[in-house]
Amino acid sequence: MNPLPRRALLAGAGATVVGLAAYPYVRRALTTPQPVFLARGQRYDGDLRKVIRDGLRAVGLSAADFRGRRVLLKPNMVEPNRAAPQMTTHPLVVVAAADVFRQMGATVRVGEGPGHVKDTEMALVESRLQEALADARLEFVDLNHDDVVSVRNRGGLSRLEEMFFPRAVFEADFVVSMPKLKTHHWVGMTAAMKNLYGVMPGIKYGWPKNVLHHAGIPETVVDINATLPRTLAIVDAIECMEGDGPIMGTAKSLGVIAVGQNLPALDATLARMMDFRPERIGYLQLADGRLGPIDARLIVERGEPLRELVTPFAIIDSPGTVGLRATSVGIKTSSHFRCPGAALA
Amino acid sequence: MTWQESALDCLSTSAGHAYRPGTPNATEPTALAALALTAHGREGEVERALGWLRQQQNADGSLGVTETQDAPCWPTSLAVLAWHTARGTHPRSATHFGGALRRGTQWLVEQRGEALDRTPILGHDPTIVGWPWVAGTHSWLEPTAWAVLALRATGNEGHQRTQDGMRLLIDRLLPTGGANYGNTFVLGQKLRPQLEPTGLALLALAGQHDPAGRIEGSCGFLTRSMDTATPAISLSYALLGLAAQEVRPTNADELLAAAASRTRSDEPLKWALLLLAALGDDCPLLPNRTEAVRET
Repeated sequence: MNPLPRRALLAGAGATVVGLAAYPYVRRALTTPQPVFLARGQRYDGDLRKVIRDGLRAVGLSAADFRGRRVLLKPNMVEPNRAAPQMTTHPLVVVAAADVFRQMGATVRVGEGPGHVKDTEMALVESRLQEALADARLEFVDLNHDDVVSVRNRGGLSRLEEMFFPRAVFEADFVVSMPKLKTHHWVGMTAAMKNLYGVMPGIKYGWPKNVLHHAGIPETVVDINATLPRTLAIVDAIECMEGDGPIMGTAKSLGVIAVGQNLPALDATLARMMDFRPERIGYLQLADGRLGPIDARLIVERGEPLRELVTPFAIIDSPGTVGLRATSVGIKTSSHFRCPGAALA
Repeated sequence: MTWQESALDCLSTSAGHAYRPGTPNATEPTALAALALTAHGREGEVERALGWLRQQQNADGSLGVTETQDAPCWPTSLAVLAWHTARGTHPRSATHFGGALRRGTQWLVEQRGEALDRTPILGHDPTIVGWPWVAGTHSWLEPTAWAVLALRATGNEGHQRTQDGMRLLIDRLLPTGGANYGNTFVLGQKLRPQLEPTGLALLALAGQHDPAGRIEGSCGFLTRSMDTATPAISLSYALLGLAAQEVRPTNADELLAAAASRTRSDEPLKWALLLLAALGDDCPLLPNRTEAVRET
């Protein structure tokens, strides 16, 4: 697998999202079926290293891809609270992934810029990630307060001409999105793609990252994903969130770990697993054909069959969830809906 | 040597301070370091920091977030507070930094968050104009609280912008006390309070009254939520807020010492806030603790 010419991308050379297909990696993603790995029956006290290794292998990645590379793991710590562990990526999944990449010869760091908490140490404590990282001797980078690098917006869907990434992201060979699978009252669901909002530095975008909301959530989700270097995802769908996600929803046990190289394909698969229609999710609509496929015919299932895992997630009646279910009538995608200048909560 | 002396020595080592090693010096930690040095009587060591801040000032009076990023300008309030506080104790500050202080204050008065129409989706009143993190976006609790503190300190308490800012802060408190990062209810769901925004809001609201009891409820939330494991930044803001409301807990020094024992030498933002919180009622951040000199 040939990585994108990262330096060229980040230096601002090249085309916007429509022209991304000029790159072999993106062209392949748009023209060949994309593998997505699902494993059920998973537990936090189970063999997570094995399932993550199996997942990476199943989606076409091997140790050779990571040897000598810099891997940044990006969990979701948007607004951690010990009373709501279903909100944030479980620390044991993060540590297991770190161990796998280390065993493959990568240098691993963990980074996150919590969207709703300026005191990042508090977010680390509340998510219980701090102690887990210390035990595993893993370096954490506060992406909200890191040095920033300006990059031309390669997505071109929002009005933002440039994007500011933390240096830790800029210097990573792979950014691994490690979301918690959740419903999202503004955009339907949050998984691999939306989790990457958290790489954007708070010192430039605010708490919440209101600049992105004002520029359009679906558009900026795609722009961020289009502008980042190499991404892949390992999704914590063992204990998920349904109802009023991504902050105030309730826990839902699913027992799934999901892995994918192509994030739109992965998120579309997870949407189907939640009994949602991916084409009704604004950022997946926009990503389709630009960053990857969301059509099931262009997605190759690896691991467990999706049909055996479909579990309807409860959703609330909100502007961002209209039409998510196949049984809904009418459609009001988030392309027509603007978050009212307020936070995602 | 006490932790406070060690912390002050750490903050005296350079003009500017970064969020973490290897990153550019930043306005927020530098301004807070200057405030801490001034408040603890290290006037002779603060001028470099004040000068660094002045070097970062944009032509319009604002300051960006770091020495390499001249926008967004939410830390301008902190620089204004640092310059203003020093002028009372540092003999040359009024002369050296008076112009920078005036320009920064004027910029603050002119900055406005984007108002929105009222909507049942949101529990707060989005029509109240405060201060945004980034120009062109909505008003949020923390930048509004810092702007209110800066304007109250500089003799602008009666200014409509300051009054609106305080109204916004009270509006963003949860009915049972405490504050989230800025929302109260979203889609009918009450959000969870956090220490840092709650403490900062109570600090900026010193001397204010809320008939609905949200300030008292917020004091209760802070008091119940702190222990010896509370991270340094959140703890400091919580204690500052309680000091401003004249209910500083009796074990505050113990809590601060515990947080200090976990703080590394290369974390200037934490040291600065711990030092400011350690001053209790004497912290110059508390409104009306410093002479208000009109700057606009």
